[in-house]
Amino acid sequence: MVKMKNRMTRRMARKGQLQMTETIAILFIFFILLLFGVIFYFRYQKIAFQEKQEELLAARAMESTLKTLFMPELICSRGEAEPEDNCFDVLKLNATKKTMQQHLDEYYFEIFSYATIEVQETYPENKIWLLYDKPKPEFTRKEPTFFVVTLRDELAGINQPKYGFGYVSVTVYS
Amino acid sequence: MRRMRKDVRGQMEVIGLVVIVILIALGMLFMATFALKSEPQKKIFTRKGLAYSTMSAMMKTTISEEAACYSLSQGAPKIGGDIIEDCAKYKDVDISIYQCIGPTSGKTLHSCDFLHEMIAYSLQNTLGSWNKNYEFHSQLITFKGEEAVDIIEPIVSGGCPKWKERDSSGLFPINTEAGLVENSLYLCD
Repeated sequence: MVKMKNRMTRRMARKGQLQMTETIAILFIFFILLLFGVIFYFRYQKIAFQEKQEELLAARAMESTLKTLFMPELICSRGEAEPEDNCFDVLKLNATKKTMQQHLDEYYFEIFSYATIEVQETYPENKIWLLYDKPKPEFTRKEPTFFVVTLRDELAGINQPKYGFGYVSVTVYS
Repeated sequence: MRRMRKDVRGQMEVIGLVVIVILIALGMLFMATFALKSEPQKKIFTRKGLAYSTMSAMMKTTISEEAACYSLSQGAPKIGGDIIEDCAKYKDVDISIYQCIGPTSGKTLHSCDFLHEMIAYSLQNTLGSWNKNYEFHSQLITFKGEEAVDIIEPIVSGGCPKWKERDSSGLFPINTEAGLVENSLYLCD
């Protein structure tokens, strides 16, 4: 009778041990899965944060480019007539280059912040106008945006102005 | 007693299943977020704006004196006016009214050849230098209503087939004596 009882107790103890091991194994797998999840989530958060920063920089690049394209200081205008799209006046470019450099910190920095604005003519000549140059000290990222423009030169033509071909490059820093 | 034990064990298994389902659902959610991410706005804005601005600027550009365009009219000829019109009119004839020196070949060319060289040169110096793929087409639709024909060979760099993410400058129509010339530029990354 005593022997039978001992056997029963041993069997039950073995069964209990097995169940304990099973539970530990399940818990171990669960925590590993949880750990994977946490690592994945934090990596995702890190990437999402970087992407958000890039998005903000891209938005600033778009904003600065649009501001440049429609700047009254540069756009081709004639009296009260509608200004010409995607066109910069060469006479204005020459004058604005000096004005922007003179009033860079007091006026234009508020509009463009840390950026570089450059106009390059590719046809008929290869001229460059560096209008605004204020790169961020120790910048980590920069985003250039290009737009093709035509360059109107009122002084070059005889009866009508001449139009050159070029592009504006707006680089923003963060 | 045995039944109660079985019930408890069954409940535990259900809880385990629920946890697994939740984990899988979370994983799927993350994957969906990654997969459904739309193209950055800046990319679309730049591509659309760039295609339009390039076309608009090119059509307005006047030919420089260095090209020594021989013509009967005064003043510098415009790409989007005089040159395209002349090419549309005389594309099947050996001699055109405007004969200009090409920017790359340095030879005096028929207006159609000059147009091709000039546009290819301008696009290469801008879009090409920024590693953009593009396609330029210039097609004539005659007043008889025939099918549109290319007045110059399409200018292709990398190519922008329909299945690719691409944007168009839209049609830049120019009315000429030969018919309507439709110019378009496709831009893709």
